[in-house]
Amino acid sequence: MTDVERPARPGRGAWGRLASAFRPGVKRGHLLPALLCALLGFAFVVQVRSTQETGLEGLRQSDLVRILDDVNQRADRLRTEARDLDDTRARVTSGSSGSRAALQAAEDRAKVLGVLAGTLPATGPGIELTVSDPKGKVGSDVLLDTLEELRDSGAEAVEIGSLNGPAVRVVASTSFADTRTGGGPGSRVVVDGTELTSPYRFRVIGDPRTLAAALDIPGGVLDVLGQDDAQGVVSQKEKITITSLRAAPSPRYARPAPEQSGE
Amino acid sequence: MIAAVGLVLGIVVGLFLEPTVPTWLQPYLPIAVVAALDAVFGGVRALLDGIFNDKVFVVSFVSNVLVAALIVYLGDQLGVGTQLSTGVVVVLGIRIFANAAAIRRQLFKA
Repeated sequence: MTDVERPARPGRGAWGRLASAFRPGVKRGHLLPALLCALLGFAFVVQVRSTQETGLEGLRQSDLVRILDDVNQRADRLRTEARDLDDTRARVTSGSSGSRAALQAAEDRAKVLGVLAGTLPATGPGIELTVSDPKGKVGSDVLLDTLEELRDSGAEAVEIGSLNGPAVRVVASTSFADTRTGGGPGSRVVVDGTELTSPYRFRVIGDPRTLAAALDIPGGVLDVLGQDDAQGVVSQKEKITITSLRAAPSPRYARPAPEQSGE
Repeated sequence: MIAAVGLVLGIVVGLFLEPTVPTWLQPYLPIAVVAALDAVFGGVRALLDGIFNDKVFVVSFVSNVLVAALIVYLGDQLGVGTQLSTGVVVVLGIRIFANAAAIRRQLFKA
């Protein structure tokens, strides 16, 4: 660079030259440099002031365009981000409410199916049918007929049992059998492996009047029982609660088929 | 002496008049100021070296300002005004540092 050490001139050092330069007095040749220095000071102050005052108006066009571009790009980026976040929020809220609704529906459905499958206790209006069979002539076939009649007339949950003994929840797979083939005196009815004794009691949930009428038709269940020297008594109830349950067997072979529709 | 008085006088006048910079001058004024500063530092250095010449000072001052303004103008026309302004400021800054270092050596021998 240019700042090489130079030997100071003998006699008159840098300080001396500086002092002589600041000695009062006007040299004619220094007028123009002084004018230029004044110009510099003036311009300096003006520039400093305009820098402090102006924000954007002091910038040249290309800078302004660049700043505008930056701002626009930033705005675009932020808009995109906001849109994404909006989408995400909408997805999350709708997804959670949708899954909650689906869960609710599934639970409701599970309860309904539980009532039908006999895995849940059930309550509702219905009838009680008491079958007293002093001569032991009522066999499994009669009880099965009675059950079919009840189902035909809209029974939704059925329990069958001895009047003061065990009760069995009747489901789709419930079986009726006699202890002795063909029935007859001394034979007892076995429902789902549980031996029942007369008098039998059906507790049925459904429309009480429809059920009672179905049992009472000519040639119906009550008539048949009368022919067998047995007696059936129907009482309609506002509320019947069936508490006997049946464990739901898990299928060994059958699996739920995937739904065909894409819902 | 008179140069220092002129500098102070210019500053005072600028402070009192509070002029606004015309738009066409706005890109060039800062560069011109930096270029003039470089010339002034060079002048002070020459003074301390004992080789100050008012004619040389005036010419270097004016040419510095003009060349700086010209470079910025060309840069603006070419679309690289901002970069060229930065380049000019960097170069002038280096020169000012070098001159300041020379002045320091002259005055403090260090």
